[in-house]
Amino acid sequence: MESFVYTLFIVVLAVNALIAIYGIVYRRSLIKKLISLTILSDTVFVAIILVGFIFKYPVVPPVYSGVEGEEVFLLEHASDPLPQALVLTGIVIGLAVNALIAFGIIQIYRLTGTTDAKKAVKVLVEEVLEE
Amino acid sequence: MSTRVLVLLLLLAGILLTTLTVTLVLRPEAPLSIRGLGKYYVVYTRQNTSSPEAVTAIVWDYRGLDTIYETVVLYMAIIGGLALSTTTRKIALKTRIGLTSIARTATRIIVLLIATIAASIALHGHLTPGGGFPGGSALAITAMLIIPVYTLQSLLDQGVSSTRLVAVRGLALTALGLVAVLPVFRGLEAVTNLKFYPSHVAGMLISGSLWFYNLFEFLAVASGFAAVALYLSIPEEFYREEIRGVRGGE
Repeated sequence: MESFVYTLFIVVLAVNALIAIYGIVYRRSLIKKLISLTILSDTVFVAIILVGFIFKYPVVPPVYSGVEGEEVFLLEHASDPLPQALVLTGIVIGLAVNALIAFGIIQIYRLTGTTDAKKAVKVLVEEVLEE
Repeated sequence: MSTRVLVLLLLLAGILLTTLTVTLVLRPEAPLSIRGLGKYYVVYTRQNTSSPEAVTAIVWDYRGLDTIYETVVLYMAIIGGLALSTTTRKIALKTRIGLTSIARTATRIIVLLIATIAASIALHGHLTPGGGFPGGSALAITAMLIIPVYTLQSLLDQGVSSTRLVAVRGLALTALGLVAVLPVFRGLEAVTNLKFYPSHVAGMLISGSLWFYNLFEFLAVASGFAAVALYLSIPEEFYREEIRGVRGGE
């Protein structure tokens, strides 16, 4: 059963990544490209968490609460703190990049009146030709 | 049956079939214990950093320098966003309509709750899961909640402007850098934790510098995202005029 759940995790993550890459490459709306990008980054984060996860009941966060003899229990049942710390860093960087991209898309919309990638380029090129 | 539902069903069936096949044929072994490095962190963080929470200890102690530069990346992104949206004139919007009084009262209660929870996430970051960044993001939600309910203008009337928020953000970031650099003046390495900062204050565990990092990161993230929310909520027509004015002036 653990084996099945583990495999299911990996297969679902792969499908998710494929859908996200499809969205980034083939969708023309910039908003949908951004959404696909966030799906892709979240998929990668879950994959990193999976590296430090254990398939055993119960899985607890690596936090001491001050009970006697807790070390042995945590060694057996705690998840790996290192991937979680890395993902925390990754989420912050991803959020910063997403915020910047969102501002960029809003600016493109203000300048061209559309969020469609091809139409926006068309509008900008026409403006340059007019000048 | 529409194509979308068909594609979804096919996808689900494909996932299940692939999983079953891989499980039965390759028999991958699910990990039942964490790796040696993870075990080291679980066992020794409490002695090395005096923090019972291993993730916060890694983020702010073992890899503290890394996290400080990460905060700088976040700051640069917000500055970049604000630079794209810079306006030269004051916002000429004077509506104070907002939503109904029921929504206002509910928002008042919810904002108080969110602020309390955000503070507890940030200030207990060294004891329980959480920390400065999640707490700050939670606090920035209050700004996003107040703007549609009470309108942007009422927030500006209270003296919460994006300039001030960016100033708070800069101060918090400076304090964060100071916490990291202060041990250098005693001849210790930068981002030193327990050799310089006390582990307990008035009998309460603060895990040395971790508590200060969490506090300043909390302030920096909250004010940064609140500033972004303010800029994003400036109405579209205003920007149109602004862009037209700049182009006409050239």
